[in-house]
Amino acid sequence: MTTASTHAASAEVTPIDRQARGPLLLLLVLGVLWLVPSGIFALLASVQLHSPQFLTDCAWLTHGRLEALQETAFLYGWAANVGLAIALWVLARLGGYPLRALNWTVAGAIFWNLGLVGGLVGIATGDMTTFSFFQLPRYVQPLMVLAYAAMAISGVLAWSGRRTDSTFAAHWYAVAALFLFPWMFLATEVVLIWLPVRGTVQAIAAGWYAQGVWTLWLAPLALAGCYYIIPKVSGRVLSSYESAPLGFWCLLSVGAWTGGRHLIGGPVPAWIATMAVVTSALMLFHYLVVALNFRGVASAPGTGATFIRFGVSAYLLVGLLEVLTSFRAVALHTQFTFIATAQTQLGYYGAISMMFFGAVYYLVPRLAGRAWSSAGLVAGHRGLVMLGVVGSVAGLALAGFTQGAGLLQATVSQGSIFEGMRLPLLLNTCAQATLLVANLLLVVNLIRTIATCCTTVDAAAGLFRPAMNLEAPAL
Amino acid sequence: MSFLSPSDPRVDQAAVTDESVISAHEKLLGVQPDEKGHYRLAPLNVLFFLSGLIMFGGTYLGRYAGYFDPRVYNENVLHGGGSGEAPVAIDPIALGKKLFNNAACNACHQATGLGLPGAIPPLVNSDWVTGSDEKLIRILLHGLQGPIKVAGVDYNSAMPAFGRVAGSGFNWSDDKIAAVLTYIRQEWGNQASGVSVEKVTAIHAKEGDHKPWTVVELEKLP
Repeated sequence: MTTASTHAASAEVTPIDRQARGPLLLLLVLGVLWLVPSGIFALLASVQLHSPQFLTDCAWLTHGRLEALQETAFLYGWAANVGLAIALWVLARLGGYPLRALNWTVAGAIFWNLGLVGGLVGIATGDMTTFSFFQLPRYVQPLMVLAYAAMAISGVLAWSGRRTDSTFAAHWYAVAALFLFPWMFLATEVVLIWLPVRGTVQAIAAGWYAQGVWTLWLAPLALAGCYYIIPKVSGRVLSSYESAPLGFWCLLSVGAWTGGRHLIGGPVPAWIATMAVVTSALMLFHYLVVALNFRGVASAPGTGATFIRFGVSAYLLVGLLEVLTSFRAVALHTQFTFIATAQTQLGYYGAISMMFFGAVYYLVPRLAGRAWSSAGLVAGHRGLVMLGVVGSVAGLALAGFTQGAGLLQATVSQGSIFEGMRLPLLLNTCAQATLLVANLLLVVNLIRTIATCCTTVDAAAGLFRPAMNLEAPAL
Repeated sequence: MSFLSPSDPRVDQAAVTDESVISAHEKLLGVQPDEKGHYRLAPLNVLFFLSGLIMFGGTYLGRYAGYFDPRVYNENVLHGGGSGEAPVAIDPIALGKKLFNNAACNACHQATGLGLPGAIPPLVNSDWVTGSDEKLIRILLHGLQGPIKVAGVDYNSAMPAFGRVAGSGFNWSDDKIAAVLTYIRQEWGNQASGVSVEKVTAIHAKEGDHKPWTVVELEKLP
């Protein structure tokens, strides 16, 4: 399927990467650094689950605030920075020209992260909004939208000024994420903060946003990276690619409608929950298309592909579990238990973050013009982070099963339910510690790689093998 | 020129160029499933799968969406207000007992219905309770003030209004009023007839937001 091409040989080291080096490495480093506070918050919050006395005297670190801090640092620190870096880079590579308006990206990145620090201090002092995934205090929210828009400009320019008219799946997902996040965030801000709707509608709006963070923002960012990297490293066209547009529109049109899933069994009109059941089932189509398209990653070589394999498997598993737990008979056992937490962990860590890690491992040598500084740290991070994800999801799911079974029996006391959950929750704490250590390895490796790259650009000369031309298979 | 080994974990090698990734996939999008009379089954199967999901979704929505009525909270409700489940009949005694013991009744009249000697009249062996329900319903709806003689003993304290009337702190519906009255008329050895919701509603409509009753006013009633 590949033919040698002499002019393409040097295409792997391009001026595109050199131009983008500073701004995109800034985003990547900031994103990866956010994993450290987020990991510490997650560890402390997890300890409180089995040892409720821990840190109760410190108002800043009580459980509710720790959960909010962890989730905010993780989503808006790690996922947002790294996801944007991946999207911008993919758009630049596919656009064929160096990124423009990078000053805006740098300014946006600085204000986004300053706003986030301010927001976290606000959450710690009790100014959060009480809506899950939307906890940033109201006074930093306008700043965050503006900063995001500033960062996204160069991506939009790269897309609208691309070299060829034709587009690729990675384009669609990246551009969708750039536009959809500000729309979602602003719309939610209006209906929940500025002109708050009342009663039940608030819960519905908050559920829509929480699901949109997954289906309209982070999943598209992660998929954009995968759609670009998988054919690049496997050297083969994506299988069943003709279905990719339908898979994309399926995610965009019904994705956020699945938000009612979080409200099944709650005080909302029946049709909200029923709609969520139906749209979760429709999303099976999206997951099927992703599975077919990404079949080639199973045999693809390299570190990035290893992470992406894990991430895609987790992504598909999350999709199946979403359908399963959306049915009311199953939701009766799983809703409002740790099983929901386990699903979130599997989705945001096992799927999104692993796909992001894969993209980071692919991207950094090209941006920095050097290989990762240590193979040992790469292997250590890979092993520990996978162990951590599996451990925490297993621990939370086991705790959830115990909890769900106990809560349905009127004769079982709360105390004995918590006794039964103690061991699995301890497992979760160990897994959170493992994740923290793993991510510290990544931080060290990334900093060392960047610190030694600034001297020469042509270090890249012997780094990359010449790339071939990909040809579509004949029918 | 020497290259890093392709299996070096520190760098992922790209096998193909960006331009060719775009152009090769672009060609695939233009392909029709039945080009040159040659059907490819995979894309058709994917479409069949989507159609199946849409059919399931439509059917499920039609059956369980409560006709998109924002007031329907039970997904089993059928068109026209019927439900797949039989409506659960409410036992007025059980509801009355729950209300009596969880609202304010038992605070004064006690769970035994004996009241507090000298301060709160008893509900046991009281003609006010087991006698005419016309008076009893009015007392609970609007309250009672001033002296009253129960079982030969004089009392003088205030009974608050429980009905959905002006000045009531409880705002009980007529169903709840009927249930509690039925309960006290048939508990503790009392053996009077139950109180119907219809009668409570009729008196409620007739008297409206009447101020608390006095014994003098009540004695004019049947």
